[in-house]
Amino acid sequence: MTPVPITDVALLVPELILVGMALALLLVASRIREAGVATAGTVLAAALAAVLTIWLMPQSSKSGFSEMITIDGYSQFFKVLIASALGLTALLSVKRVDVKFVRPAEYHALLLLAAAGMMFAVSSLDLMTLYLGLELTTLCSYVLVGITVDKPDSNEAAIKYFLLGSFASALFLYGMALIYGATGTTDFKAIALILSQSSLGSDPLFVAGAGLLAAGLAFKIAAVPFHAWAPDAYEGAQAPVAAFLATASKAAGLAAVGRVCWAIFKTPTNGLQFDKLPPEVSMLLVGLAALSIVVGSIVALAQTNMKRLLAYSSIAHAGYALLGFIAGTDAGAEATMTYAYFYVFMTLGTFGVIITLEDRGETLDGYQGLAVERPKTAALMLLFLLSLTGIPPTAGFVAKFVVILNVVREGYYVLATLAVACSVITAFVYLRVAVLMYMKEPVAASADPEDALSSRLPLAVSAALAMTALITVVGGIFPGILTSWAVAP
Amino acid sequence: MTYPILTLITFLPLVGTAGILLFGRGRHARWIALATTLATLAAMAPLCSGFDKTKSGLQFVDSVAWISMGNLQINYQLGVDGISLPFIILSGLLTLLCVGASWTAIRTRDREFYAALLIAETAMIGLFAAANFFLFFVFWELMVVPLFLLIGVWGGPNRVYAAVKFLIFTLAGSVLMLVGMIALQVATPEAGLNFKQLTGTTLDTTLQIWLFLAFLAAFAVKVPMFPVHTWLPDAHTEAPTAGSVILAGILLKMGAYGFLRVALPVLPQAVQIFLMPMLIISVVAIIYGAYVTLAQTDIKRLIAYSSVSHMGFVTLGIFTLDQRAVEGAILQMINHGVISAALFLCVGMIYERTHTREIKDYGGVAKTAPRYAALLALFCLAAAGFPGLNSFVGEFLIIGGAFKTNAWLGILAIWGVGLGTTYLLWLYYRMVMGEMNPGLQGLKIELTAREILTLAPLAFLALYLGLHPECVLSYLHIPVSELPNIIATP
Repeated sequence: MTPVPITDVALLVPELILVGMALALLLVASRIREAGVATAGTVLAAALAAVLTIWLMPQSSKSGFSEMITIDGYSQFFKVLIASALGLTALLSVKRVDVKFVRPAEYHALLLLAAAGMMFAVSSLDLMTLYLGLELTTLCSYVLVGITVDKPDSNEAAIKYFLLGSFASALFLYGMALIYGATGTTDFKAIALILSQSSLGSDPLFVAGAGLLAAGLAFKIAAVPFHAWAPDAYEGAQAPVAAFLATASKAAGLAAVGRVCWAIFKTPTNGLQFDKLPPEVSMLLVGLAALSIVVGSIVALAQTNMKRLLAYSSIAHAGYALLGFIAGTDAGAEATMTYAYFYVFMTLGTFGVIITLEDRGETLDGYQGLAVERPKTAALMLLFLLSLTGIPPTAGFVAKFVVILNVVREGYYVLATLAVACSVITAFVYLRVAVLMYMKEPVAASADPEDALSSRLPLAVSAALAMTALITVVGGIFPGILTSWAVAP
Repeated sequence: MTYPILTLITFLPLVGTAGILLFGRGRHARWIALATTLATLAAMAPLCSGFDKTKSGLQFVDSVAWISMGNLQINYQLGVDGISLPFIILSGLLTLLCVGASWTAIRTRDREFYAALLIAETAMIGLFAAANFFLFFVFWELMVVPLFLLIGVWGGPNRVYAAVKFLIFTLAGSVLMLVGMIALQVATPEAGLNFKQLTGTTLDTTLQIWLFLAFLAAFAVKVPMFPVHTWLPDAHTEAPTAGSVILAGILLKMGAYGFLRVALPVLPQAVQIFLMPMLIISVVAIIYGAYVTLAQTDIKRLIAYSSVSHMGFVTLGIFTLDQRAVEGAILQMINHGVISAALFLCVGMIYERTHTREIKDYGGVAKTAPRYAALLALFCLAAAGFPGLNSFVGEFLIIGGAFKTNAWLGILAIWGVGLGTTYLLWLYYRMVMGEMNPGLQGLKIELTAREILTLAPLAFLALYLGLHPECVLSYLHIPVSELPNIIATP
């Protein structure tokens, strides 16, 4: 083991900023009465982390800490995405954290630490660091889901999430142990080298390990059949926390899936150039994607709670995002990155609207006649719903187009048809909400004029909504501007 | 022409939408909408005057590099040829008339109504002006959203069912087109989905067959062809007048336009293979549609079903692949756009006064409203294919082509014309002639000046296109003769 040079710390600057801000908030926690201070701190840290990720990092990819951590285009992309999701979540939390007597400093510190874990995970080149990053994220998430201690729903959700999550972490850990047993290393490159040189692919120990690892990762992105936690956790959690889980956490999980697939299964070693994933891995990804799309779309049809509906839709979206990875081409990975990028913003926007409408309750019926009472909010919701459905000219269409382009290019015509057929089902799901908003009369005459609302709506929430809406529209019209910097791992 | 005229025309209505959303308080919305649609129509004038009928290919081309993601290169390209130009003008005209028809009929949430209408106009014009498939698809999908809202928010009692059915049918078709379009992009990556470059490539026959089926799913739903027409009667019946006009006048033409723009040029071999089945379902649509129309008791539903029959003529004409018949089919699309829009406007205007669409509640309208009766007579006769009025020419050309292909097709099509005359004249007889229905006593049915002004352009077109069809046909000769597989008329 060579000593780690101090300069390697530079690789972790964004994470350190987030951790530093989290510690600072905790240190002065007892003094913080104003939620605004904590929010401002989090947003500042997120912005700084994003900016430093882009500016301070080397042009070519660089790794350190004994090849355990890397900075490359791939991790930079996801770090910026996670930082953006963190900042927007903090902005969206303003209303909730004030109202529900959640201690702002602790809440924001947990958000920051979770995001730091995600960033750490997406730049991992070793199973150990990957596990550490993901586990930091998950532990913070358990607490965030249950942060409203006086709400039984929230406690129930946290416990369910914790039990299933620990189980998934155990699977992941066991898979790591098996792979270590089979190869004697946890380093991605070393595993890839051994894989290319020996008949490791047929070693039951390694196959079992890889399978368990896949299960653990599938849990993180809530892909079917490891999705059961998501609806309960989203429903019980505060809306901003659910938004954070559905976006940043899912993006980090997707990044980890891509990293593992690319670094272990298709790294060019010994002059052997793999331009695709091995067929077994492809089949596994196809299976996860197809199941997630079908189950997510169909079960979403039966939901009456907005957050549960979005949970199932996020399960389907995880499936769509995986479509880019299935073949293992770099263009495919970039398609998934584009998908993840647009998905994060449109989902945050949708949750943002839910947060602004919290006084109407979270059931679908609460949205009846919204277009009459709050036309602007309804129009915004319609935009996000159309984007989630994948109707041009929104970002969601571009996202769907690029992943399906990848599927067709690799010759999976049936899968492509299945995916678009399910998008008709999801259209029905989302448009049910649109029908309620636009085509039903308001239930009670709760005369709530728009101007009174906008005065009550905190500036932070409006800003977050405006930004997500902007990206949803611009991303649909000029997609190249926003995602041209997506680089395969 | 130095300024990007097509881009201007396409997005001018969107500017109007923005204006309505910003300044459309109270009743200002309808004035902004009127000004926008008038300006859009006026902006089309240089398009008509500057268009050169003798040149082949697209004119007024606007082309800018647009999407560049990895190996996906797509340009923003607009352009018109003789086929698309008449549709662009028809779109502009019908939207203007829709504003006129909604002037007093839409009283709730009119700001959103006119905003949706103008977005629909952008989608319509953009679709006909699109010079590549990607842009075509974007506008194709964009069209669905405002219409979904138009039907679902301002429609009749059963509007939500109709709106959702419309949306699900259209989306189900268009997602298959999306897969087809992507497969086309994968097969010919260098073409960038540009129609002209796609026409130059020869695709594998098996791929062509699959692509044809995928595109057929989308186009057949929009036309609508038998048996995927079932959304149409619901949507047309429940939609507000403006929605019905847009649906019947433009939306139905998008499917047939898709065949002309995508299927015929890009998939010539598949078209040859599917020729007979397409001709047969077209004739089925004509005959079946006509018989179902005869049985209707609701005026709007009757006109809606008659569209199934009339659009059957259009697809029949297109798939005979005879030069004259294809020209006739395109002319007939314009004709149907004019007449069905006029008929829906007529129904809408009388419905505003009587609040019933049942034929049995009418009778003897001519006694109190002679001007209305005269205009309705003109449009009914035009729809029935009366010589001297516009449908006659289109149907004549189509049936001529059908006889050349197969005598039975021609005979059945003539049978369809006979049925069409029957249901239209019978409708007219029951509504307008005979004794006055007591329920209509005391109602002021006669049209106002605004309403006559709304119908006048369509009445003029019905006469003018009937007497001088060459004014549209002359645009079509060159682009139609350049389609592959076309049997030139000696």
